[in-house]
Amino acid sequence: MLSIKNLHASVEGNEILKGINLEIKAGEVHAIMGPNGSGKSTLSQVLAGNDAFEVTSGEVTLNGENLLEKATEDRARDGVFLAFQYPVEIPGVSNMQFMRTAVNTMRHHNGESEMNAAEFMKHAREVSKQVDLDPAFLKRGVNEGFSGGEKKRNEIMQALLLQPKLAILDETDSGLDIDALKVVSDGVNALRSEDRSILMVTHYQRLLDHIVPDYVHVLSDGKIVKSGGPELALELEERGYAWLGIKDEATAASSALSNSAN
Amino acid sequence: MKPAPTLSTAFLHPAGQALPEPLLALRKQRGAALVDMPLPTRKTENWKYSSKYLKLTDEMAISLPTAGKTGSALAVPGYKVVFINGVMIPEASEYPDLNDILIQRFGDLSDAEASDLAGRLDSTLDSKAVQLAGLNSARFEDGLVIRLKPDAVLDQPLFIIHEVTADASGSAFPRIFVDAGRNSQITLVEEYISSGQEPVMVNTVTEFNLAEGANVTNIRLSMGGENVQHIGATGVVQQRSSRFESHCVGFGGPLRRHDLQVRLEGEGAECKLNGVVVTQGKQHYDNHTTIEHIAAHCDSEETYRNIAADKSHAVFNGRIHIHQDAQKSNANMNNKNLLLSTGAEIDTKPELEIYADDVKCAHGATIGQLDEESIFYLVSRGIGRREANVLLTMAFINELVVQIPVEAVRDTVQTHLNQFFDQAFQEV
Repeated sequence: MLSIKNLHASVEGNEILKGINLEIKAGEVHAIMGPNGSGKSTLSQVLAGNDAFEVTSGEVTLNGENLLEKATEDRARDGVFLAFQYPVEIPGVSNMQFMRTAVNTMRHHNGESEMNAAEFMKHAREVSKQVDLDPAFLKRGVNEGFSGGEKKRNEIMQALLLQPKLAILDETDSGLDIDALKVVSDGVNALRSEDRSILMVTHYQRLLDHIVPDYVHVLSDGKIVKSGGPELALELEERGYAWLGIKDEATAASSALSNSAN
Repeated sequence: MKPAPTLSTAFLHPAGQALPEPLLALRKQRGAALVDMPLPTRKTENWKYSSKYLKLTDEMAISLPTAGKTGSALAVPGYKVVFINGVMIPEASEYPDLNDILIQRFGDLSDAEASDLAGRLDSTLDSKAVQLAGLNSARFEDGLVIRLKPDAVLDQPLFIIHEVTADASGSAFPRIFVDAGRNSQITLVEEYISSGQEPVMVNTVTEFNLAEGANVTNIRLSMGGENVQHIGATGVVQQRSSRFESHCVGFGGPLRRHDLQVRLEGEGAECKLNGVVVTQGKQHYDNHTTIEHIAAHCDSEETYRNIAADKSHAVFNGRIHIHQDAQKSNANMNNKNLLLSTGAEIDTKPELEIYADDVKCAHGATIGQLDEESIFYLVSRGIGRREANVLLTMAFINELVVQIPVEAVRDTVQTHLNQFFDQAFQEV
């Protein structure tokens, strides 16, 4: 499915990804963990095709096709989906209009007939229940005034509607309370299928209690430094990133802060 | 120092004598006042950004002929009055003959009615601020007066289709005067369209007088061709508890200028002014609005949006003047602007003058571009770049488009917007 070889990427001249290698087969769920600043979100954005990040070397293929030379919209049409860490608010474009446009673009791409407004509404209402989002949200502007949890559920709803081949979940657990985490996890588990790959990017282990991955990778300073099974996540939870000799900047920064306070 | 350019005398010869004597006399008097009138220049504050687009050539001074013109057969969902080159075409018009709502062309007025009208034309406008409206008063060849008696309600929108036929250079001077009696109601749609390709000028004046409790909605669509300079003024005077709502939607041209002046003279009057302007190519559009809060307890709400693409230029100047006695005024003005290209220009200026001490007055103006993050979000879902641009641009003005109270007008606006998007985003 997805093959990443020696991927290097920079933003504004700073190299963030320093040689990522990763193979994800169809049906597998991979988790990428790592401290803040390790490059997790950069990897997600690069895979989705954000121009703000420059790929300086390496290759990425999706089902054998070069992903990096494709425009963002073409990657999406080929089945790449990114659930954003910070979904964008777009007042003036209704969630419904946005999702229907996206779904119909995808259907058109796949040679299927477009859904009319009534058909789509019916379908969207069902999916919104699946992520416990009131159908009234469909009429609001895209993510406009949504709480953090509602935004994340809206992302999962889009994934369920678009049925991607590769779903990348960027810190989908951040900002969620326990109940919302359960709803979002159920949505992600509903996405699991033999012909779909899922790449979860997360700082914490708790998401992985709900969505058990097949593989866990630890990202540090732009490289995968350790890979293993789900037990690796538990070990990280217990022993922290320092166990792998990784400085967790968030932790380091907060201890530096408390030191200076002393 | 070079003397300031003045209005060419070629403009001082009105055509069309088929008007009642009092109106002919008024025209003559207004014409005399225009002799040696200085034309606006860059140094004229209210024409600062637009004077260079104003081209009043002698060829343009000629009145466009109406003889034999029938106009485009437009179907409208309501009543219809057709003007061609500023002259009403009765055969193309369809409106009811009612006791309580009188719709008359100037030429059909009795001398007494015309005399009354002559005394009231221009009374809603601050002539110093709308210099070129004087040209309309000196040159109108016809016009429409609409009088609603107390409690009269026009059951359907009245569309006034103003067409100019630009087969040759020249000008047209359409004129409308509305007198809305106590508690009366009307929705008036002005559509400005054109045919032909020669450079022409349309100079319009529309005036509304709202008596106590009157409720007037005015929709104004400026849709003329690339050869049409449009200079228009709308004056509104509101008495106690009256309500005026305007929706001005404008598409650019070589010069489009609209002055909208509202005077809130009676307590509890309220006005809502919405405006949408889109420009592209080398088009220019300039909206100047003035709201005078004269009486206490009046509300005004103004929302204008400009979108400028390519090398076009849009201007918004919104003035709110709260007079000393206008306590408890509530005025809200908001102008947002979207630049779709680095070559486009938008100038916006809110002007607030407040002389009362117990008022609520808010204003805001912003200028920005389409948000890259939003575009990335949309395209990451497979939506094409062009479509993403259209969605976001539409989102910028949709809030105002959906408020236009006549569906057929919204459809017309959407059709024109789609043409605009086709042009503006063709290279994406």
